[in-house]
Amino acid sequence: MGGTFVITLREGFEAALIMGIVYTYLQKIGAERHYRYATRGGLLGVLASVALGVLVTALSGPLLDLGPDVIGLAVILVAVMVLTWHGYWMQQHARAVKGDVQRRIDEAQASHRLWIIGVLAFTGVFREGAETVLFLWGLLTQATSPSGWASATGAVLGLAMAATLGWAIFRGGRHISLQRFFAVTSVFLLLLAAGMFSTGAGRLEAMGVLPQSSMAWDTSLVLDDHGVVGGFLNGLVGYRARPSLLEAGSYLFYLIVAGALLFRSGPPKPRARAPRGQIPAHAA
Amino acid sequence: MRSSFKRLIACVVVGLVSVAGAVSAADAPPEIPLTIDKNQFQPTEVKVKANTPFVLVITNKSAKAAEFESKDLRVEKVVPAGKTVNVRIRALKPGTYSFLDDFNQQATGRIVAE
Repeated sequence: MGGTFVITLREGFEAALIMGIVYTYLQKIGAERHYRYATRGGLLGVLASVALGVLVTALSGPLLDLGPDVIGLAVILVAVMVLTWHGYWMQQHARAVKGDVQRRIDEAQASHRLWIIGVLAFTGVFREGAETVLFLWGLLTQATSPSGWASATGAVLGLAMAATLGWAIFRGGRHISLQRFFAVTSVFLLLLAAGMFSTGAGRLEAMGVLPQSSMAWDTSLVLDDHGVVGGFLNGLVGYRARPSLLEAGSYLFYLIVAGALLFRSGPPKPRARAPRGQIPAHAA
Repeated sequence: MRSSFKRLIACVVVGLVSVAGAVSAADAPPEIPLTIDKNQFQPTEVKVKANTPFVLVITNKSAKAAEFESKDLRVEKVVPAGKTVNVRIRALKPGTYSFLDDFNQQATGRIVAE
């Protein structure tokens, strides 16, 4: 029971964190009416996960060998792009906050394409979603004996725990200031995206698309990335016990480039973007 | 105009197919079988030649899905119940590379390249 609890908690944790953050974010910019972007993105993520889970079970041969890898890579790529864009935007906005609350909320809604929030929610859920579906499905079909039931219950509790954590972030996040929320989450999302970028590079390396490189370091004896703590750190900030030089290098590369984009000092850029018709101005 | 476009498409398709064929024919790497059954890998230690690419042929004989995962090899691969999945592995430097079933973490094993 404990084992399956940890597995689903870990798989669901990232999704819960992202969902918690995007809902808090929408609440912070006064866009509660637009929760549906996050909700739809998340629901579509769940549907896509179930669909991929079913598809993987039905496929065989080369499609099964390569299909999930290609989809996995595409999701990582899209997630990195969306996270970078969103982080960049939050940072710009946090710095530009000068006027009254109402104006900044209007600006936020007008200048950020809120559907990107939906994509963020989608990729957050879908990334580990299909795996979780298959894992749960396997457990539920085995839930005929007492130990099978215990395993299945543990897995469901793990997901519930992850969802609770996401909810806690939403509850807690409401009470901290807009600027602090933006600052903390953009650092976290930056690290998350760096981890994904490096994972993507590693996959391409393993598939033979990128050249092979030697191991950068080995800390598997100190903190194994297959273990509980290492596994969580791996999902959240991309910790690796035995990364290749290419993976470590791409992590650093992403951190430097995106970090420079996000946190360079100096006056904020003029953000005189006229509200687009796409999102109606906040009705106060 | 339209027929030349069709011809172009045909050329591209033929090209891709022949490239794919050439690739799969040129380097047919050795296949190494690995079975998941009764919550265990069999064998738990896989010996391979170092510096030679190979294909892991993973068969899941158990009734539930497994996920072959190795951070060392950068592979994460779901193997549905009763299915076989081929995983191409690049040439490995001599050394030990651990793997596990992420859905059942008592099931572990390692690849020894020498």
